[in-house]
Amino acid sequence: MANLQEVPTEELLSFHDYPAVHTSTGPQNTSAQLNLTQDSFENFSQQEEIREPLEDNPTNSASVKSFWTLEYYQQFFDVDTKDVIDRIVASVTPKRDNTLKYHLRDKPDLYGPFWITVTLIFTIAISGNIADYLHHASPQYHWKYDFHLVSYAATAIYVYVLLIPFALWGFLKWSSDVSDLEGLESGTTPGALELICIYGYSLFIYIPVSILWSIQINLLQWLLVLIGALVSGSVLLFTLLPALRLSRHKFVLMIGIMSCHLLLAAGFMLYFFHGPTGSPVVDTPHNSTKTS
Amino acid sequence: MTDAKLEMFDDVGGLVEGEMSIPTNKNTQNIGKPDFNTLDEPIRDTILRDLKAVGVKFAHVLFPKEKKTLLKEWDLWGPLMLCTFMAMVLQGSSTVDNSNDGGPEFAEVFVIVWIGSMVVTLNSKLLGGNISFFQSICVLGYCLLPTTLALIVCRIILMVEQTPMLFFLRFTVSMIGFAWATYASMVFLGDSQKPGRKVLAVYPIFLFYFIISWLVISHTNT
Repeated sequence: MANLQEVPTEELLSFHDYPAVHTSTGPQNTSAQLNLTQDSFENFSQQEEIREPLEDNPTNSASVKSFWTLEYYQQFFDVDTKDVIDRIVASVTPKRDNTLKYHLRDKPDLYGPFWITVTLIFTIAISGNIADYLHHASPQYHWKYDFHLVSYAATAIYVYVLLIPFALWGFLKWSSDVSDLEGLESGTTPGALELICIYGYSLFIYIPVSILWSIQINLLQWLLVLIGALVSGSVLLFTLLPALRLSRHKFVLMIGIMSCHLLLAAGFMLYFFHGPTGSPVVDTPHNSTKTS
Repeated sequence: MTDAKLEMFDDVGGLVEGEMSIPTNKNTQNIGKPDFNTLDEPIRDTILRDLKAVGVKFAHVLFPKEKKTLLKEWDLWGPLMLCTFMAMVLQGSSTVDNSNDGGPEFAEVFVIVWIGSMVVTLNSKLLGGNISFFQSICVLGYCLLPTTLALIVCRIILMVEQTPMLFFLRFTVSMIGFAWATYASMVFLGDSQKPGRKVLAVYPIFLFYFIISWLVISHTNT
């Protein structure tokens, strides 16, 4: 306050005029500047230098943000409710024309993948407990819930949603034909972030499926495994197809992607939703202590 | 030199005026008086004043009407009390034969509540909400009160012999606690987001209280 008062008013006024010249419409100002500073060209070129960064700032600001600031991460959460719903719907409707890819095209987000995985972890833990309870529904058995299903589900899902996209990204980089550099440049090879986003959204279908898995009918459970894996696996394939075409080992990759997806679904179902008497896979330490 | 200073002031614009008006206000209020100092009063007064502030916030959560009261002065005493109480009741006790009863550890409840509310807050910050970090954590923590009350009721119900009817009662109580907590936190935090993103910010809050209510329902060890 004291500093401001010491400054003469004329200087203050002239300063306030100064940014107004730069922020308002460009071409007219340059002509005005030209008229004013015809005699001293150095001055004008200086003004030009000042104005350029000012104009560039808004366009570059997204990429310039430091890695450690909140603003850097805000670009991954720059979605509206409508966008997220569109992407979720696209992730469960397999179409040849790449709807998910089209929705992700401009900016992959991390909101969807993050909250879909968190929701899936707790849905699996909760309905896994319900399945376990239904399996032991008898009056003499004292059923106890198992909170630690959350940890197992979280480990499995985060390993899947982080490791597989990175592995796939590396494999695509390695196996893409070098002659197709144009294809690489035009962005058919998705980045690691985009792959994580696609994989995150592809897990969405397992949320309703895992609720239905708690119904203890063997045939229905396996049917749900197949449906879930096929629907979201095919969305994955359609979305990644342009990138896969460039690869030398496209069939290996396609089979790998599909089998990983199917394996994940089958693993979930056998580990969390199958009764201890059903399959030998389920006879894990925490289940055996429960039955003892 | 003066130019550089002025440039700095001009960048921040209106913010400077706001910050400068604060000390002048303080001076006019306390004119002629010594500064208020908690060292001069009995400890009892200090503690009672803080407890009263916590109690007023609890009352606001139970009857969520005013939007700004809970946000104005945040503290984390209430959340700490609620969280510690819930963690103590919910923790699974490992018996002699080394078979854990499946409940979460004390630390796990603690981590779920604190990391959970931090993640929810971070999410709303990342979506572009205009609320300070600790204000949001304070609100989320205080809104655990209905679920804590549900836990107390469930604990009382668990003292008698269990029947399906009583399970249904516990389920209803926890669901009411869950709905209440979600509603209260939405009243306090709901309008900090842009309209297009409200659902995106509310969904994590919903999930947070849902998980805690699940812990409340599932808690059965006697």
